Amino acid sequence: MKDSELGRAFADGDVIFREGEKGETMYVIQSGRVKIKKHSESGEITLATLTNGDIFGEMALFDRMPRSATAVASGNATILSIDKKKLFTTISRDPTMVFKVLETMSQRIRMLDEELSRLKKTREHLLQTCCDVEETCEMILQEAKKTIAAENGSVMLCDSDNTLDIKAAFGGKSTQLMKLKVGEGIAGDVLSTGRSEMLNNVSTDGRYKKGSTKIISMLCAPLKCDNRVFGVINLSNTSERLFLLEDLRMLNSLAVYASIAVKNALNYAELRVAADSVLKQAILVT
Amino acid sequence: MSVVSSAQHTHIPNPHNHIAVIGGGPTGSFFSLFALRMAKMIGREVEITIYEPKDFSKDGPGGCNRCGGIISELLVQTLAVEGINLPNSVVRKGINSYKLHTDYGSVFISTPSLERTIATVYRGGGPRGIIGHDKESFDNFLLSLALEEGAVHRPVRIDSVERKNGKMVLFSRNSQVTEADLVVGAFGVNSTAGKMFTSLGFGYTEPPTVNAAIAELHMPEKVIAELFGNSIHLFLLPDRGIKFAALIPKGSYVTLCILGRKVDSHTVGTFLQRPVVRTVLPETLGYDVVCNCLPKMNIGAPKKPFTDSIVMGGDAGSTRLFKDGLGAAYIMGKAIAKTVIFEGTSWKDFQRCYYPIYRGIKQDNLFGRILYTVIDQYRSSKILTRAMLKTVESEQNRGADDRLLSTILWDMFTGNERYRNVFLKSLKPKMHLDMWEGVFSSLGRR
Repeated sequence: MKDSELGRAFADGDVIFREGEKGETMYVIQSGRVKIKKHSESGEITLATLTNGDIFGEMALFDRMPRSATAVASGNATILSIDKKKLFTTISRDPTMVFKVLETMSQRIRMLDEELSRLKKTREHLLQTCCDVEETCEMILQEAKKTIAAENGSVMLCDSDNTLDIKAAFGGKSTQLMKLKVGEGIAGDVLSTGRSEMLNNVSTDGRYKKGSTKIISMLCAPLKCDNRVFGVINLSNTSERLFLLEDLRMLNSLAVYASIAVKNALNYAELRVAADSVLKQAILVT
Repeated sequence: MSVVSSAQHTHIPNPHNHIAVIGGGPTGSFFSLFALRMAKMIGREVEITIYEPKDFSKDGPGGCNRCGGIISELLVQTLAVEGINLPNSVVRKGINSYKLHTDYGSVFISTPSLERTIATVYRGGGPRGIIGHDKESFDNFLLSLALEEGAVHRPVRIDSVERKNGKMVLFSRNSQVTEADLVVGAFGVNSTAGKMFTSLGFGYTEPPTVNAAIAELHMPEKVIAELFGNSIHLFLLPDRGIKFAALIPKGSYVTLCILGRKVDSHTVGTFLQRPVVRTVLPETLGYDVVCNCLPKMNIGAPKKPFTDSIVMGGDAGSTRLFKDGLGAAYIMGKAIAKTVIFEGTSWKDFQRCYYPIYRGIKQDNLFGRILYTVIDQYRSSKILTRAMLKTVESEQNRGADDRLLSTILWDMFTGNERYRNVFLKSLKPKMHLDMWEGVFSSLGRR
């Protein structure tokens, strides 16, 4: 922590507060990033990645409910804490002080509204009974293209031999042929860690595996159900166009519905194989 | 020039388009920033021009605002909630503790989590060489925020103000500079600007002042880091006429600030020779006193800080006694902004909305005077000083909620709490029981 920094230092992965805890403090990020995570049935979801100047933890102060999510430092971060009692005493003297907090909260509600309406459309598309795995993956990419500007994309699913295989793709043709083992390349690493990644200069990342199309930036999110990762969605750019934190957040949200849709399609395919086999045996017996 | 009696006060209709702010220090910048934000919020167009001849982006005496430069815990947090985060370029050192020195010992008072909640800054220029290298002054930072919000800065010294046909007319060197619907006096007590408002005849008088002594001590940054860490050193000595002194670390400088009613050109030299000071700053350190000055300090408030279309804030109005002048600048600047944007600029508007805030600070300073009188008794008595040290020392082993005297001293010297609230805390029987225990313990040792 630099001498001129204010607040308290948190190292990468340090928990600032946990979901369910009583909230007595609001926080303001002085430097670094903080991830807001929420536990769900399909595992942990990153709701937002906040940066310098952002406030968080204010909801529990105003609605007196337990913390709605967990805040974790992403990299080294310095955070200034604001005590509830002191904050409310100051607000009682000067109610206009909450203008900025209200502005932040209404911006977040507005963003959530937009995201919800986008996700509702995506959900409707993805959760339509689609029985074909490749077709479902294609549909996922179409939805991803609508919400995130990217030049290339692919959906890779884990085969029975634990290899990531491309089921649908757009953009650079070379990716069509790529197969990755668990832990191999960035997608393979996301498959093993279950954590999404945003890289705006992939060439400096030791995990990056070169293909014939040179890519500059990449977004990668896991497809998972019950904490078991079974595939990844990749989006990449070959030009200088960079991805934003907002893009990563959107891809994460999309990945939640995409996981359900792919899992449904995979289950249907398995069920169909089993049914076919039973039918064949029945025919043979008769 | 018309003198408006209270009977003649009439409400001047909104909107008031042009506001002239005299002084680009914290009060002027806070006022401009919040007035413009609030005006945007309700869709009003306001034009604000800040008249400030000093250049706060330059170091040396030309841009210096002669101040201790401590931003209290409360102000750091309040600004953060307002969306004003103090950047590393402005903060010279993040402070998490105070070390209190007396002739009979020292004691360490810290925030429970050792979180750095206090900032030391250079208000204006400060010593030569400190601006640049990714560093800027606090006043320049605030002024930039006001300009980003839409205020205009003119580096002009306004030396005369007149009222003509319901408008305020501002002059510099006998030439008319502008006409304005409202003039906000946001200058300091070291400025000569106060005189042009006293001559307007609405009853404004410059606030009473005392001298403070401020000196900059230069030494290697590494030495300061080792000696001070992230602490401000505070001295409560039995010297008459000096309330307290503080050594405030700021990168490769330490600001020495001595406050009291009898401060003169010899005060700094005498203070540095005190044995207790030499335990903190031994002569072997080889530090240089690169500059020192005796700026005036506001210790009172004018009775009539406003009239139709004129309002005074910050040091030109009222400020907190002996500390947290920047906190007072925030409170007053914002209170004027709220009045002007949501109410109006007549005497009635200021009386209804601004005066309660102004009076609040004035009344709070009465509690401050009582508290400083009590502290004077403590620092002039060996037994009481020792009892105080003993109590604070034993409190450091207790939980955060059980450190009454430490909290009182912390709130007093950091400016973290209103004097009234500190006074009420000091009435708690628990604190007196602890103090008596400390007195008996000191007497026993004796």
